Amino acid sequence: MTKIARRSILKGAAAAAAVAGAPALARAQARPPAARTIRAVFHGDVPTYDPIWTTANMAAYHGGMVYDTLFGVDATGEAKPQMVNRYGYDAGTKTWTFELRSGLKWHDGTDVTTADIVPSIRRWAARDGGGQHMMERVKDIAAKDEKTFTISLKEPYGLVLDVLSKTSTPVGFMMRKKEAETDPMQKIETVVGSGPFTLNLAETRPGTQYVYDRNPNYVPRSEAPSGIAGGKVVKVDRVVFVNMPDGQTAVAALQAGEIDFYEIPQPDFMAQLESDRNIKIQVLNELGQVGLIRPNFLHPPFNNVKARQALLHCVKQSDHMKATFGSSKYAKDTPSYFAMGTTMSNDANTDWYKGGQNFAKSKALLAEAGYKGEEILLMQATNIPYMSNSAQLLAQELRQGGFTVRIEAMDWSNVVQRRSNKAAPAQGGWNIFITSAGGSAVGHPILLAAHAATGERGWFGWPQDEKHERLRAQWSVGDTLAERQKIAREIQDNAWNFVPQVYYGQWIQPAAMRANIKGVLPIAEMIPWWNVEKG
Amino acid sequence: MISYVVRRLLLTLPVMILVAIIVFLLLHLSPGDPAAIMAGDNATAEQIAAIRTKLGFDEPLWKQFALWCLALVQGDLGQSLFWGDPVTVLIGQRAEPTVSLALTTISFAVVVAVTLGVVAAANPGTWIDRGVMGFAVLGFSLPVFVVGYMLIFLFAIDLKWLPVQGYTRLAEGVGPWLHNLVLPSLALGMAYVALIARITRTTMLEVLAEDYIRTGKAKGVAARPLLLRHALKNAAVPIVTVIGIGVALLIGGVVITETVFNIPGIGRLVVDAIARRDYPIVQGVIMIFAGIYVLVNLLVDLSYTLFDPRIRY
Repeated sequence: MTKIARRSILKGAAAAAAVAGAPALARAQARPPAARTIRAVFHGDVPTYDPIWTTANMAAYHGGMVYDTLFGVDATGEAKPQMVNRYGYDAGTKTWTFELRSGLKWHDGTDVTTADIVPSIRRWAARDGGGQHMMERVKDIAAKDEKTFTISLKEPYGLVLDVLSKTSTPVGFMMRKKEAETDPMQKIETVVGSGPFTLNLAETRPGTQYVYDRNPNYVPRSEAPSGIAGGKVVKVDRVVFVNMPDGQTAVAALQAGEIDFYEIPQPDFMAQLESDRNIKIQVLNELGQVGLIRPNFLHPPFNNVKARQALLHCVKQSDHMKATFGSSKYAKDTPSYFAMGTTMSNDANTDWYKGGQNFAKSKALLAEAGYKGEEILLMQATNIPYMSNSAQLLAQELRQGGFTVRIEAMDWSNVVQRRSNKAAPAQGGWNIFITSAGGSAVGHPILLAAHAATGERGWFGWPQDEKHERLRAQWSVGDTLAERQKIAREIQDNAWNFVPQVYYGQWIQPAAMRANIKGVLPIAEMIPWWNVEKG
Repeated sequence: MISYVVRRLLLTLPVMILVAIIVFLLLHLSPGDPAAIMAGDNATAEQIAAIRTKLGFDEPLWKQFALWCLALVQGDLGQSLFWGDPVTVLIGQRAEPTVSLALTTISFAVVVAVTLGVVAAANPGTWIDRGVMGFAVLGFSLPVFVVGYMLIFLFAIDLKWLPVQGYTRLAEGVGPWLHNLVLPSLALGMAYVALIARITRTTMLEVLAEDYIRTGKAKGVAARPLLLRHALKNAAVPIVTVIGIGVALLIGGVVITETVFNIPGIGRLVVDAIARRDYPIVQGVIMIFAGIYVLVNLLVDLSYTLFDPRIRY
């Protein structure tokens, strides 16, 4: 009796499990097979579906899936047409004319027209530093017909294509008229783009996973893909952005084959991943990141140029890189104001670097500045390891260089809040904070907001220098690369005199992926998922 | 009994009001400005101020609190500052993984811990007793994330028996659902097992020294019924109390466990929300957790009547 009863129970349990499992089978058939699905983990979560509204790179990664750009940079950094077919510049009227290519459709099936493009440019430019720089020189943006629009300039300006094609955030993604006419300060919530993927809202779980399906109606360009330029040919059915906050779990999941791609494995895990034959390491962004130390120009002691120059002599970049990256081959010094490896990189006025760390020089400069040992407040973002490490090291360097330093530990959210406070440190302000920026943006005198020296109108730290701004304006109308490089030398020469910021190193964060992932295109600031195959 | 339940439920009101005040003040008085985070790196002070106005953060604190409370009593926990979705919807989307993890952990912990505690008490001073107590000390001393990574390394990477991370919905089958929950439940349950095993052992030792147990033994009652029917039932009240108190431990552990095992539950939701200063989510989740904790303790109190007929409400 007992045996029969147990069997019955087991049968019942099996039947129940089969019933519970049945819907899974039905759903599994609707999903693309694993071989045509890529599961990728990045450095963070998608903070919003509006990639114009925020500078967060994750929003740009999302934008790159569902939206398209008028132009895109190729692997060499050159602007190439993407949504645009023909285009030209009339020097006489200082007018750019652009014609959209055929076959562009929004995900809702309607045609992409200039009625969408014109407000898209305006909304993006309202939020973007490069866009604002361009708009200051723009007389008008006008639709001529459904396919043609013009950008008329007040004065000659050589950066229109650079700005429209850039990958630094916010990227110039084009949206439908309806979304594009939204107040730039207000986020859009509807995701209808014209890009190579569509957002699958039914399977997307904000904060957990974002599911992008191949857009079957997307018509790619015929050119070979390069950077975010060329044909965006999608070779998988689905890409899932998995939000996995724990780096160690992500590495384990990659090794177990549960995910296919991990954007930024921490340096501690590189040896482990490099020794795994199922994993390959690929550098996607050769220019990496540059560490920025921002002094506050509004308050003593850094309202005095001598005190800022003292900073230059205190910081030993290689020590900062060792503090976070050990002896990694992926970290290096960057004495150039425009970061190493960029076309504007140069060695003008770098004696402070060649002379090495010099605390005696720092103390002498502080004496010239009339510094009497007043406490300076250094904000330390404790939840971002490289910033936290560098803040501790910097504090020690500054103390040895003659400064009196107080570290204030907080999370990055607090740094973001407090750095906008222009009051004196004792009233809730600050003297120094640490951050980082993409190497490609640092290499561009205009596109990085931190490069502006427009005082209180500018970025946190509020550096002010008329010569710097005059040179940046000259650079933006430079006709040739050689001319721009010459002006870049002058900018750097001047920058390392008035010291708007100090760098603590430049590092590359290679991506790790399963060995069967092929065709990931290297480009700064974005990760394209077209052209990628899963073998 | 009913009047007791009603009285207890009414008593939860001041508790919840106090929780609401503390949660609101803690969040709004601590540093961090969601408007600055939302505005992004290139935002000017004016743009940040505009967002602050739009969100109503420029209103006096008492007014913000009053508006939140008004919505709260109508069952409206507000909308996420970042996603714009109602907090109740976001919590609803994340509830299943957290509830699943909590239930599997409690089930595993209670079964294993009570068994270990009873076995240890039945063999006092032996290597079994010392082994169980040693395991309890270890389980209580090791942080959840350390246990989690060790389990991942052994069972997911080395032996490849179980997945490293993720969650499969119950609707997709009991097997896949459990497959994903084994490691997180083990990791989260360790401290819980330790706590319950220790209290079970201690209480059982006290009960086993009682006269009626000695009488039972003298009358020839077999060891197993004596332990399980007579001793364990009488030791149940303190054990159930600890299980109830341990729910707080479980809630704290869920946050870490969900991060380590990448389970898209409420713990992950609240951690992300704290980093972004998404006040409505944090406030909503804490209110719900507080409510659950109060209710669990009420259920624990009521359950005493099942184990000890002398207890009356």
